[in-house]
Order: sequence, then C-alpha cells, then structure tokens
Amino acid sequence: MAAAVMMCAVSDTTVTLHDITVSGNARRNFQLRTSQSAVLVDRDYLQQHFSGSLMQTLEGIPGVKAMTIGSGQSKPVIRGLGFNRMVVSEDGVKHEGQQWGDDHGLEIDQFSIDRAEILKGPAALLYGSDAIGGVLNLYANQVPMEPLKGSVRLFGRSNNEQLGLSAKLGGRHGHFFYRLHGTFIDYSDYRVPTDSIQYYSYWIRLKNQRLRNTAGRERDGSLMLGYAGYRFHTDLRITDSYSRSGFFANAHGLEVRLSDIDYDSSRRDIDLPYQWVNHLKAISHSSLSLGEVVLEANLAYQHNRREEHSEPVGHGYMPDPSGTLERRFDKSTATARFVLRYETGRHAMQAGFSGEFQHNRRRGWGFILPAFESYDAGIYAMDRYTLRENLTLNAGLRYDHARTHIRSYRDWYATPVGADSVYVQRSSDMHRRFNSVTWSAGINYAQGPWMLKANAGKSFRVPIAKELGVDGINYHIFRYERGNAELDPEQSYQLDASIGYSCGRVEFTVEPFVNYFPNYIYLSPTPRYVEGLQYYHYTQARVLRYGAEAEFTWHFLPHWQARLQGDYLYARQRSGEKKGYTLPFSTPWSSEAEVRYSFVFHGEGYAALNAHVVGRQDEIVPPEMPTDGYWTLNFSAGKHFPLRSTTFSVAFHADNLLNRRYYDHTSYYRLIDVPEPGRNFSLMLGLDF
Amino acid sequence: MKRIYYLLVPLLCALCACSGSDADSKDMEKPVISSDGIVANPIECQVYHRGESIPFQYLFTDNVELGYYNIEIHNNFNHHTHSGSAIECPLEPAKKAGSKAWVYNQDFKIPAGLREYVATTDIPIPSDAETGDYHFMVRLTDAASSQAVFAVAIKVVE
Repeated sequence: MAAAVMMCAVSDTTVTLHDITVSGNARRNFQLRTSQSAVLVDRDYLQQHFSGSLMQTLEGIPGVKAMTIGSGQSKPVIRGLGFNRMVVSEDGVKHEGQQWGDDHGLEIDQFSIDRAEILKGPAALLYGSDAIGGVLNLYANQVPMEPLKGSVRLFGRSNNEQLGLSAKLGGRHGHFFYRLHGTFIDYSDYRVPTDSIQYYSYWIRLKNQRLRNTAGRERDGSLMLGYAGYRFHTDLRITDSYSRSGFFANAHGLEVRLSDIDYDSSRRDIDLPYQWVNHLKAISHSSLSLGEVVLEANLAYQHNRREEHSEPVGHGYMPDPSGTLERRFDKSTATARFVLRYETGRHAMQAGFSGEFQHNRRRGWGFILPAFESYDAGIYAMDRYTLRENLTLNAGLRYDHARTHIRSYRDWYATPVGADSVYVQRSSDMHRRFNSVTWSAGINYAQGPWMLKANAGKSFRVPIAKELGVDGINYHIFRYERGNAELDPEQSYQLDASIGYSCGRVEFTVEPFVNYFPNYIYLSPTPRYVEGLQYYHYTQARVLRYGAEAEFTWHFLPHWQARLQGDYLYARQRSGEKKGYTLPFSTPWSSEAEVRYSFVFHGEGYAALNAHVVGRQDEIVPPEMPTDGYWTLNFSAGKHFPLRSTTFSVAFHADNLLNRRYYDHTSYYRLIDVPEPGRNFSLMLGLDF
Repeated sequence: MKRIYYLLVPLLCALCACSGSDADSKDMEKPVISSDGIVANPIECQVYHRGESIPFQYLFTDNVELGYYNIEIHNNFNHHTHSGSAIECPLEPAKKAGSKAWVYNQDFKIPAGLREYVATTDIPIPSDAETGDYHFMVRLTDAASSQAVFAVAIKVVE
C-alpha cells in the first residue's frame, strides 16, 4: 500500500479531467489553493463542448446546470441555486444584468472567454452578496505573448439553423498589448419534437414543430489595451454585447391570445413579442508588485439596457396602451475593488475593500420591477496558512453594509374602487439598510493519490427590489406576485467536502455538501386569486438542502477512457406555509456515462459517445407539476490539423440523437408545456494563427 | 491513509442523518371540477341571450381541502381553442372585438374545511354585450395551491 501511495505521489502524470488536459501537479496546485469544490475549465474544453450558449457548454460539469430559456440563451444554476443566488463574474468583476428574470440570459460572449472557473459553495468572502450557491468566474484577460496572434471560428447548428462567426486578434509589442474580438450569431425558430402544446388549458398547434417567433441574433465586440511590466500591470477592457430574440408568441403577454401577426410566414424574422438587451462593460484592472506585497485595483462600469416589446393589448382595467414598449430596464452599475496581498513564509494573506453602486430605472406599460438605487460596501480579510507542504488551512471574515432605496410606482391607468377610481400604487417608496457578517474556514490535505478538502462558510444575499417591492402580474408565468418590504437578508450556512483520488488509470471525486438557510426568501404560492390569477407572495422560511456530486474516470485501455458521473440534490422547507415541501424547480438527480477515444495523428483528435440520464422529479410545490425522467444519447468528435504555423480544427456535436421529447424540470418553459429542443447537429470550424 | 477514512466516515454519516423521516403530510393531488350528480351549467355549446343570467353550477372536490375559485369569461371572436373540449361547437364568422365585448372576471372563496362543494352563482349578461362566441373558464385551487382549469364554449345572442 505504502509503495503504491509513493508511486502515485511522485509521478507527474498527465491526467484528463473531463477532457481538460493539465499536468498532474498544476491541477494539484490549483486544487490546493482553494478548500472549496472548484473546477477549472480551459479554452479547449469550451471549444470541444461548444453548444448553443455558454451555460449549455458548461453543463457537463457535475453540479452545474443550464436553465434553458429558448434557443439562444440559458441561465446558470449551481447545485440547484440560480438567479441571484449565484454570482457570474468576468475578469473578477460581478456581472450585473437583470439576473432575477426567468427569461433573461447571460449577456456575455462565450467565444471571448479564455478559461472558466467554477466554485461550488459559499464565496461571500470575496464576492459579497449573492455568492451562495457558487461562482462562475469567466476570464477573457489573457495577455498575448506574441506580436500577432488570432483565430477565426465559423459555427452552425441544425436545430435552429444557427450561423455564427467569431474572430479574435491580439498581440504584444514590448510591454504593451492589445486584444480585439467580435462575434456575430443569427438563428431561426427552434424545433421541438411535438406538434402542439397545451398551456393554461389553451391548445396551441405548432407548424413544422417549430416554436414560433423564437428566432434571434447576437453581436458582441470587445477591445482590450494593456501594459504588462515586471512590477506593474494595467489593462482596460471594453465589451459590448447585444442580443435580440423573439418570445414564443403564444405564451407571453397579458393573456394567451391569437394575434393577427403571421408568425409562420418566416422562421427567421423576429416579430412581437420580442426582447433586446445591450450590455456595455468597461473593466480596468491594475496591479503593482512590491516584493512580498501586491496591490490590486479593479474598477468597472456596466450598463445593461433591456427592452421587452409586445402588441399593445388592454387587460382588466388597463386600456390599450400606446406603443409596444411593455418593459424597459436601464441599469448602471459601478464597481470598485481594492485588494492587498501579502505573502510571507507560510502565510498568504489578503485584505480588500469593495464598493458597488447600482441605479435601476424602468419604463413601459407593464410593471414588475420598481426603480431603485442600491449601495454596497464590504471589507474582508483572509489568510491561507501552509502548515506542511500537503496541508493548508484558511480562514476569512467579511463585513458588508448595503442600502436600497426603492421608488414608488402607481399604475398609469385608473382602477374603479367603489364609486371612485384610483391610480393603484404598485410599489411604495422604501429605504432599507442591511448589515451582514460572513466568514469561511477550510482545510486542504493531500496524501499520495488522495486529496481531501473541507470548507465551512456563511454567505448572504440582500433582498432584491422585486422581492421587496413587486406588486403585479408576472406576464411570463401568468401569476400575481406581491413583494414583502419586511424581508431580512437571506443567510446561508454550508459545509462542503471534496474527496479526490487519482492514481494510474483510475480517478474519482466525491463532493458532498450540507446547506442550511435560516431565512430563505421564497415566492410562496397561495390558493387565492387576484384579478383571476393565482396569488404568490414573498415569505422567508427555514430551508435545509444537501446533496453530492460524484465523478469516476477509468482509462481502461491506452487512448480509451470511460467516465461516469452523477449528482443528487435534496431540499426541504422546515418552516412556514409550505413546511414539508421542497423548493420549486428542484433539480432532479442526473447521471452521465461516456466512452471516449482520443488519439494523436497529425494533431490531436477524439470521439465520444455519451448517455445523459435524468431522474423523475416528484418533489414539487403545488401548483407545480412533477416531471418525468428522460435520457438522451449524444455524440461528439473533433480533430486538430496543424498546418505550418497555423492550426485548423473541426468539432462536431450531435445532441439528442434519438430526438427524444422531454421536459427539463428546472426550465420555466416546462410550465408552458414546451419540451426541450429536439435532435441537433452542430459543427464548428476553426483556424488559429 | 487511515486518517482519510477517519474524516470520511463522520462526513458520510452526517449526510445520512439528514435524510431521516419526511413524514410531513403533503397534498400533491389536484382538485377536481365535475358535474357528477348535479345539473351542471354552463355546458359546451350552450346559447344565452343578452340581459339574461348564466346560472353557474359545478361540483368541486378535493382529497384534503378546497381553496378558491375564479370565473372568467372572454370572447372567442378570433377562434382560439382550449384543450379538453371534446366537442367542436359551430362558430360564428371570425371578427375583431368591439368596445362592448363582454369581459367577466370574478374571484370566489370556498368556505374553509370543505372537501366537496357545489358552487352556484348567477352571472348576469349585460344587455348591451356584443353578441358572438365566448369562452367560459373556471379555475379552482385546493388549500395546498394546486390548480384545476376548466373551459367551455358558449354563445351570446340577441
């Protein structure tokens, strides 16, 4: 036994962690740096697993899910927590869009990303509010090492007839460097394996199995300029991401209705209702190294503008509005973060300050989110102490103070109340202050082929304006929602562990966690009706969640690899109106088995067959309905072809080969009886020079 | 080596301890809208005159406790369809709704603690309501918030 342990400890083998090839020691070092469950994803993985959206690409990682919201977009979910319960950051700056919305995607260009890092578990220490479920860190700030380097990608998808082109260019001249990036995507209505859907008792037939009016387009661009010296580094990156896509025409708006618009005349056009989003971001990052001390400053400005347009139709007491602008959100976010790092001997210390200001305004005839301003300031300190080469301890503490000012809103039309008619107040003027102390402590231990991590932490989330102040109809889900001005900051305690083993042909990881919320903010359904719609209100309840992810890889023959992975999640409300029930949209168990053949013949190549199995979900909160389990068969293959100083690459994907009809329990499209996309082939051609 | 197991075992036990009993009573069954044993009104393809009343009557049942119900009437001048209608009623020619198209939307509470309830209410049709095809929708919840939806096609004539 001892001999075997020694053998594994010494050999610096190259291992493959879901196709991410990194040398054993580099991966070990990455894993030793954090006591949390962390997954590192490089550009190769992103390319090989290219899917419709960034999140769909990352979905192969245990514990990570993509909540699909139409063909072009999806939302990230880590261990069953999404929306404002996880953080997406780009180059270290929290991405701030309208992440609370059910059908709002990520406004980030997946082709500009160099690498991604997924932290599972609480990360409030570094990220402040919202980092409860985990963090998806995206990086697009790699410094080019050569005078001129670039790549071009051409890609297509069969299901929604998507065509896309992405190009990158970058170079370094002395200490100065630049990067340029552009992406264009255009897609038509996507196909689902069904001829009709039923929603809210309405019977809607589909032409050629296409979900009418789900076409869209996207264009992104970025420019980065920087200086990389020996002690001093600074860069400025400006990105703009624009997308415009249709909403499925029959299940959006004030009521299910038939329109005079001839949606079926073209499958590439975008008719009403549709949304467009533009996200502009400027990020400046600077660092100064003074021996053992490193100073860092991150400054960022983001502007997110979203408009949703619908046919103007009166509803209830609301007369026909003028114009199609149903909702507009204009959100500006300014972020500053200063970090001081100090490494000496066995200690790696870090202290920081972060501040954020948000300004959100709304327009349009449909009301769901009040206008607001919010401020957040946090300070933190942490230390990583290396007790021995294979044993590190870490601990940290953070304090946050947040303020929210919600603006009042009254209907723009009068509602008769008795003999009078009044402009009903949907949101009242409100000032709230929140304080939170969070902490985290962990241990990393490596012994031979084993790696053990354990982490305990507290994280929090400041209630968002919608939770505090909403009072109106949610047009996407046909329900009446009312906020609660008394909500406290949501708190979460979590215990994580990660047990890893890697030796010779076998490697496995098991990552269990237990998570307790003393006051989970929850949109609770009630049996009541308001204006003919079921009434939901925000409350807080004790919630216990636990689960685990496991992954097993076996290199059973040279070039051949078999992989089995799975995840399981349990959630239970322990108090309140829905005590004993789970949480809505609870992630069902899932499992994946894959066989992969890799080879090197004038460049690397691979082919893989994969079966994805998802369990039935009976754990529901009425009026939610159970969702059947399903399985899909998928195939992928790719090859690099070196051509002198350039590399040509091909990646092919076939998803849902058997064209199965299934529903994703975590997708809001399930509520409107829309199954997940049918069979899809995608192809990407790339040239790196 | 052994040290790893010392750490592993309590952790797995901690996880198992959490998955204890879940004996909380949960009502996952939907309520039911039916016409069993009563003369239900309105039924598919029924015709009503302007100015008269629709004598609504349906039987609501649930395995635990009934909640609330809502009645909503909207025009079907554009010929949309609802699922669950077995019969195709003859429709008037399609048209655009005028300002007098009839809209009715009312919420009702069912007395607490009932598993069975015969809902009755008279719904007067305005004497100036636009004539044509209408849909009559009934939505019913149980105390656990499950919802049942029921729709019939009716006609309003002179």
